[in-house]
Amino acid sequence: MNLSQLHKQTFVVQSRTSECAHLVELLAAFIKSNDIPGEINNDLRLVLEEAFVNIVDYARPKDKDHSITVEFNNNADSISITFIDSGIAFNPLTDCDANIETDDHCEGGMGIHIIKSLIDEQKYDRIKQHNVFTVTKHYNK
Amino acid sequence: MSLVITVTPEANNGKRVSIAGSLDSNTAPQLQQSINAEIDDSVSTTIIDFKDLDFLSSAGLRVIFKTKKVMDNNGGKFLLVNLQPQIKKVFEIIKALDGMNVFKDQDEMDDYLAAMQNKVKEGE
Repeated sequence: MNLSQLHKQTFVVQSRTSECAHLVELLAAFIKSNDIPGEINNDLRLVLEEAFVNIVDYARPKDKDHSITVEFNNNADSISITFIDSGIAFNPLTDCDANIETDDHCEGGMGIHIIKSLIDEQKYDRIKQHNVFTVTKHYNK
Repeated sequence: MSLVITVTPEANNGKRVSIAGSLDSNTAPQLQQSINAEIDDSVSTTIIDFKDLDFLSSAGLRVIFKTKKVMDNNGGKFLLVNLQPQIKKVFEIIKALDGMNVFKDQDEMDDYLAAMQNKVKEGE
């Protein structure tokens, strides 16, 4: 595999939390292959888990098993993770009203707070009946 | 990325729950199950030992908070020890360390427990 192929990788996984372990392994391999500083590995792993679990729990129609597309993008000084799913419209940045002390309002509130704390940019779009959620973290080589 | 849970007895009806590996959305239910089976109102002190825990997510934190609530309701003590930097960071992000008894290592916790024990003896 040449380096240009490593700048972006796309995976399609089932919308269930058990897929998270597999994604974490793929992310670790992507970070290593792209020579991204290893110290952000743990932060990105945490962001990946929190975002993915939120999407699995809230965006999918409960009676349907469907897939989530996950993209890793490396851009010289930043790495982005994009989640694309065809579930009901769900903006994790605003639809999960965080109450980080009790986490009562929304189970995912604590997770979104963690994402916002660890990530430099986050963006949500609803495009052609799909949720597109991207998180970006900058790094210094 | 699995979780290994070891529950060992401690002095004065205490219990130590040592967790090793990854406490995440997939493994948090295992810990909850162990806690439900092991921690009841007969337990005076619950110690969660994070020494060999590499990863913690919000799903794992919820189990920790629920356990603290159980111990608070029972009038027991709830202690956290040996938090690695990446684990402590997650607690700090959600500002969860205030109100928790957190000890950097076993020695610090032993000093605390000895001081508590002395207080009880003085009161007798």
